[in-house]
Amino acid sequence: MVMQTPEVTTTPEGTPGSGRRRGREPSHTHDHDEPESNRPRFSRRRIVWLAIGVLGIAGLLLARTIVDGTGGSNLPLEVQDTLTLSISIIIQSLPFVVLGIVLSIVVQVWLPDGFLMRYLPTTPVLRRFCISLFGIALPVCECGNVPLARGLIVKGFTVPESMTFLVAAPIINPITIITTHLAFGFDDGILVARILGGLAIANIVGWLFSLSAKPEALLTDRFAAECKRPVDHEHPQSKQSKSVDIFVRETSVIMPALFIGALVAGLIQVAVPREVLVSLGSNPLWSVLAMMVLAFVIAVCASVDAFFILPFASTFLPGSIVAFLLFGPIIDIKMLAIMRTTFTTRTLVQLTVIVGLLSAFIGLVVNYVA
Amino acid sequence: MSLAVTATLWLAIAGELVLYIHPRYIVFTITMAVLAVGFVVASACVRPHASHDSDEGADVPIGRWPKLLTLTAVGLATALAVSMVALPATTLTSATAQQRDINSTVLDLGTTDIASVTAGSAGAFETFSVVDWASLLRQTSDLSFFANKPVVVSGFITADPEDPENLFYVARFVVTCCAVDAQPVGVPVYAPNWSSNLKIDDWVEVRGEFATNPSQLSSQPLAVDPSDITPIEQPREPYLF
Repeated sequence: MVMQTPEVTTTPEGTPGSGRRRGREPSHTHDHDEPESNRPRFSRRRIVWLAIGVLGIAGLLLARTIVDGTGGSNLPLEVQDTLTLSISIIIQSLPFVVLGIVLSIVVQVWLPDGFLMRYLPTTPVLRRFCISLFGIALPVCECGNVPLARGLIVKGFTVPESMTFLVAAPIINPITIITTHLAFGFDDGILVARILGGLAIANIVGWLFSLSAKPEALLTDRFAAECKRPVDHEHPQSKQSKSVDIFVRETSVIMPALFIGALVAGLIQVAVPREVLVSLGSNPLWSVLAMMVLAFVIAVCASVDAFFILPFASTFLPGSIVAFLLFGPIIDIKMLAIMRTTFTTRTLVQLTVIVGLLSAFIGLVVNYVA
Repeated sequence: MSLAVTATLWLAIAGELVLYIHPRYIVFTITMAVLAVGFVVASACVRPHASHDSDEGADVPIGRWPKLLTLTAVGLATALAVSMVALPATTLTSATAQQRDINSTVLDLGTTDIASVTAGSAGAFETFSVVDWASLLRQTSDLSFFANKPVVVSGFITADPEDPENLFYVARFVVTCCAVDAQPVGVPVYAPNWSSNLKIDDWVEVRGEFATNPSQLSSQPLAVDPSDITPIEQPREPYLF
């Protein structure tokens, strides 16, 4: 059950010096052709890219001031709102992504090897249970959890274990618990159902995926290759340059996914009338499903989704609120786009189905009991 | 990445972040953006061969048939990133207000309840926002309750779906987290043929009092009978929090 190459990527105490670019991408073979020692510290190619970047941004800002001067865009309202919504998702997620990457760097580079492993129980079930409580100490919301979970895999966690973390952490998380309590108090058992349900789903997901014969097959080829990358013992990196290295690598993977996810979420929000969903609110079964669809579509952050859903509480049954609060943090459009950087499509479909069924089940139980 | 961060900091400097997120996140967002700038600069200084930017997705592995898909996605992501920086920041418009079914979720948003209003003084009503009024309208349609309570509200115009010619809403978006969860909330205003001198999405200040809604088509029992409708500039914080 343990990944085949848990330790290989951890660099021993680095001697400062050559910040070697560790193979980002197998296809970029040209980067590896040069002998390390001959590589100039400031390569021409990099300066060109940097210049293009700076000039590009300067040009855009110039364009921006010109557009500002003409009194705004003449885009159709729907297009404008789609952009506004997508940008709003990005700006909202960006700080969490940065925080998640920083924590991921801390876990991968600055924590001593085996620091996390040492205190965890060895029994897989207990171990996953402990991991599902990690979120209490790492209050990052769901989009930031992906880089963190990637860091945990690189650091030697098994895939099912980091999946457990990924599913549990957005819910079992002080910020989420506080905001849910502020929004709902202990009414209708929504808070309790959310915490216990989140724990249960995370551990069941971890258990189910641990049954898979080859956990590495759950990962995309690219990320699996990244995990297996051998340690470069001859040119160990300094911790600083390794941190920067990870930052660049993670942003280059996560940011395009975030942009795509945000754009799709923005489009769907403008295209799908909300009253269709709201009109389903009072049926025990349909309200649960409608709420899960809503959670999937709106892609709002786990730490605040309780406030978002509060206004709906009067029209929807409590079980459907619970289903929203369980399903939304784990699966939504934006999250699928971001998780696709790490897991295969097949894995994500399985994950969506499992989490969907479990949240619907818990929601229905709450509906019929409460 | 750097595009997104640039855009965030630009918006922060221009004070336009509130167009997208709730004010309580601004400090956190700016802190993290500055941290990210630090990393971007460091990546340019420390590592030879740092790729200058990530948004282009140059590292996305390209298979056989997904190549087109990947290129489209990269193109869209880049376009969105560019538009973040290049286009002016805007609020959501009436298109979203219509789509989200105005006042559908207003009940728990307002903090105003009937008892506290009855005890209040007449001057207090002038500071009521559209949310306060919409919340009261939800609780009662008793006209005598609204008697002698002057209404002064500002917001943007969105047409009533049932009687778009004679009735419009003075609406604001209420934001709990970011613009994604913005809920439109508004007060109906009865002004026959309002579209002759007002446009959808115009910002206005409406003065008047509630009266029985004369519109035959609308299901709203009450609407503001306006004594004065003044066009105003869009406020710097267009959303209510």
